[in-house]
Amino acid sequence: MESHQLKPIYEAIGQGDMRRGLTECDNLLRKHSTHQGALALKAYVLAKLGDAEEATALGQQVLHTPGALKSSHVLQGLWLTFRVLRLPELEIAVYNTALAHTPNSEQLYCKIFMAAARFNLYKEQHAAAVALNKLFKQDKYLWWVVTSLLMQARSSQDSAVKQLQLTLAERMAEKALGEGRLTNTEELRIYLEVLEIQGNHTAMIAALSTSGPLAEKIANDPDLVTQRIGLLIRTGDYTKACAAAVAALESRDNWADYKLYVEATVAQASGGESPVQAATANFDKWAAQRGRDRGAKLAGVELAIKLHEAGRAKPAGEVADVVGERIWSYVDQFMTKAICYSDIMQYFVTHVKSATALGQTSSAVDFHSKQLEQRLHNARAAATAAKCSEDAAQSWVSLERIRYLIQALADDVDPQRWVAGIGTMLSFGLDSTEAERKLAACSDMTLIACQRLILGAFLAYPEPEQRGLLLSSLFKVVCVLEAGIRMNDDQFLLKLYAIRLYLYLSCYDRARALYDTLNIKNIQLDTLGFLINGHGMSLGCFSTDLELCYDGVSFYDRADARVPQELESAYGNGTYSNITDFTTFRDNLVHSVQRECTHRCALRGETFEYGTSKDVVDQWKEADAVSIEHTDETIAALHDNRDVAVMGLLTPVDMAKWNLEIMTRQMPLPGPAWIKIFSMVPQIMHYIVCSEAELLEARARDLLAVTEEAGQSVSSHDLLLARGVYQVATLYLRARSGDEGFDNELSALAEMIIGALPPDTSALNSLDLHDVALSSIRTASVATELFTLALSVKHALSAQRSSSANAVALGLSQIRKTALKLVGGMRAWTEKPARESIDALWLNAEEPLLASAMTLLLNRRKSAVTLATKSCVGSWLKSVNNMAAHWKKCT
Amino acid sequence: MDMFRFNNINLDRYTETYDLSFYLTYLSSWPDLYIVAESADSSLMGYLMGKVEGKEELWHGHVTALTVAPECRRLGLGRGLMDVLEVASEKTYDCYFVDLFVRPSNLVAIQMYENLGYTLYRQVIDYYVTDGVMPTEYANDMRKALARDVDRKSIVPVKHPVKVEDTFFD
Repeated sequence: MESHQLKPIYEAIGQGDMRRGLTECDNLLRKHSTHQGALALKAYVLAKLGDAEEATALGQQVLHTPGALKSSHVLQGLWLTFRVLRLPELEIAVYNTALAHTPNSEQLYCKIFMAAARFNLYKEQHAAAVALNKLFKQDKYLWWVVTSLLMQARSSQDSAVKQLQLTLAERMAEKALGEGRLTNTEELRIYLEVLEIQGNHTAMIAALSTSGPLAEKIANDPDLVTQRIGLLIRTGDYTKACAAAVAALESRDNWADYKLYVEATVAQASGGESPVQAATANFDKWAAQRGRDRGAKLAGVELAIKLHEAGRAKPAGEVADVVGERIWSYVDQFMTKAICYSDIMQYFVTHVKSATALGQTSSAVDFHSKQLEQRLHNARAAATAAKCSEDAAQSWVSLERIRYLIQALADDVDPQRWVAGIGTMLSFGLDSTEAERKLAACSDMTLIACQRLILGAFLAYPEPEQRGLLLSSLFKVVCVLEAGIRMNDDQFLLKLYAIRLYLYLSCYDRARALYDTLNIKNIQLDTLGFLINGHGMSLGCFSTDLELCYDGVSFYDRADARVPQELESAYGNGTYSNITDFTTFRDNLVHSVQRECTHRCALRGETFEYGTSKDVVDQWKEADAVSIEHTDETIAALHDNRDVAVMGLLTPVDMAKWNLEIMTRQMPLPGPAWIKIFSMVPQIMHYIVCSEAELLEARARDLLAVTEEAGQSVSSHDLLLARGVYQVATLYLRARSGDEGFDNELSALAEMIIGALPPDTSALNSLDLHDVALSSIRTASVATELFTLALSVKHALSAQRSSSANAVALGLSQIRKTALKLVGGMRAWTEKPARESIDALWLNAEEPLLASAMTLLLNRRKSAVTLATKSCVGSWLKSVNNMAAHWKKCT
Repeated sequence: MDMFRFNNINLDRYTETYDLSFYLTYLSSWPDLYIVAESADSSLMGYLMGKVEGKEELWHGHVTALTVAPECRRLGLGRGLMDVLEVASEKTYDCYFVDLFVRPSNLVAIQMYENLGYTLYRQVIDYYVTDGVMPTEYANDMRKALARDVDRKSIVPVKHPVKVEDTFFD
């Protein structure tokens, strides 16, 4: 009977038509107002329709109706409701209430366990696991108990409680191992984790040295084999560690095992030379085996450098040469492989740094420079000869990368030396038969040349008065990058640098087009979104940036829903080793810096989207501006997943002076101060439209304080915006209270907005190209955003029937009139003189650094120069047109 | 696998970046067939995502994704990753064959699979649908028989291209 009555509702839900589902619920409830099944399903439908408040209230009402959960329809309707609403405590309450009607239900206890597991409710999770283990005595449930205890211990702040949970988990796992109930490596990993937290390495080794069927599984699991070697080292049993490493390396080429073998060998070396000789002999033996030469040879370098660091290499006076020769021997053998440089870079760095510690930087650098010189000469000659082989080309690339590193390690600040040989490199990269063949080495060579040119430009033109030369140089590098991309569209690093430099020159549109070709999506929105996201807001391209923000928001929403489900799957499949990883992964995503930035940018974008409409007051009222508030604690909990190492750097990330990712940032990466500022802006707007004067005053003061403390961690344009928002808040407070001084605040705001727009070009006849590339578009964008926010003040005062509303409206109207004229002038310049300015001031500038590159481009790849020029002008025009259109809408 | 740092691999145009749940499902279902290679400087060099599926004589290992960072190619890394999957498919899961799909335009990958003993079993119509960057394409379904398939029945080629739905096993 009940099923029959509910059928139309289920049908509507099954078809995804929630509106019809709601109607069907109401139809049934009109006839049977206390029909609990209909009420439960109505709660579910409301939850799906986004009415969380009513869905929760109705769900709770049904939950507390005695006997309601006897019905399977009610049970299903309610747990689904609370799952959709992400209210795990209530979902668990549903199962617990249902248990009163079907005690000892395995299914209900499992549901409690999973609901708790999805949301880190470890106590509830543990209780359910214990009940399942007691009632059904399955091994799976035993491991659920152990894992729950482990997760509880990991999250516990109380050390005594933590120890108790770990001890319990350990005993259960130990007993299971003894009884043969620990049967696979996933269960073993959980046991090892329990022991690891307690620092019980001896017991870990014992577990990993177990006999029986598990032993074979351990032997076939490379990670566990490696873990055992590491544990032997940690317990000081270097002899066994060496033996275990040798045994492992006899059967497979695993770099982690090589590293541990070296570590154990060096630790043993104080007792004599034989361990080192044995390791060296082994490395030589393995290096002679097919496909194993790279790892074994690199291990030889690792051993040399570790012995050197430990002061155990002999004779002492020849140490540097021994290490250095090992490094170069590796290079000689593997420079034909693209991996050579990333393999060996760290050893060059360590070697030179250890020499620095002894005050011998120059001798180490000189040694390497000398080693490089002839090799580079030969490689260049071989690669530029007719019929160059792929190996020859790659060798030259590897050695060019090393040259770059050695120059950085030598702290070479002479720009001329950085651009030395660029012409030959670019000829090979862009204008050779190998380049026509799309040889990867050619694109790599073009990239290295661009990296050198960028570095050279920043070194040559560091002063503000040299900005024209810097911009001219960077524009020319863009031309080279465009030529490189045309030659080989697959080289994503060329695109990443082009994106960076276009943004440096305030060209959003072309940067965005290149970004789109990289097909960045899903998790990459979190790690790589920073490359472009937010730049549109600063460059007048609000809508396109907002679209990207929505992609990001949608990704984070999906992740919030899916990762907990996958945690459930991991428990279900018994792949316990994933539990900790998935939990950490989820936490890193939930607290992601980029997630915060994406959400704040989305709010900024929506300001433009809705800011010109009268409905903006309702929009700001409804905005959940309070929950986005940040404290020092919430900021400290953020996790930075942004992949700043993606740019193919040729120096270690921590050598900041030479880090091109940092150097090419036009504005700082958004960090704590930025997040705080852009969390406060929507709060301020919310308080304005809600007429919450005290809260507004306090938040505006906070904003000013953060702005003043931000220093260089926030761009000057964003700081300008923040100060402007403070002014908007002050204007509202004065105008609202009828304070006569509000005129002054309005004038101050007008001054800020008009001052941020470019000067009246009808008098000057031209804008400054360098101003446009560096700041005019950015400040005009700030002015546009500020004015949009100020419009909300006008609408709020009007809605609040303030006597100052008309005066504010009139003042804003005058600002708009002036702004339209100024933005119009900017557009006129961008439409025509901009291109001429690029030709005159950038392309034909007396700038010697890139002369050889430009000669090649203008003679052989002119289309790339044309493309870069058009892209700059087109991008600026797009930004200016967007702003002009927005100002027009701001009536 | 650390999805926060696989960009040096996944920015390659032939490497698809799937939805999160795709990776997590593979990790939680077949952790031993999710194989990652790391370099000496701890960056990711490549990875293979695999699974086992099918019934009776169609019980097989499947290569869902195999990708190697551009700078890590020509090192035999792909061969090594495939080897781990093939050994697991044969020894742990007792499969009849291993199969994989590849874009016909990805000639480098096809050459590598052929060198590893894979042959074209059939083509799948419009298996790859354009995402705005890569075009819509047929897939080459390539197979390699394992020891259990004594008569090598699993790799007898199908002459005509099949629809995507004909490739589902479960």
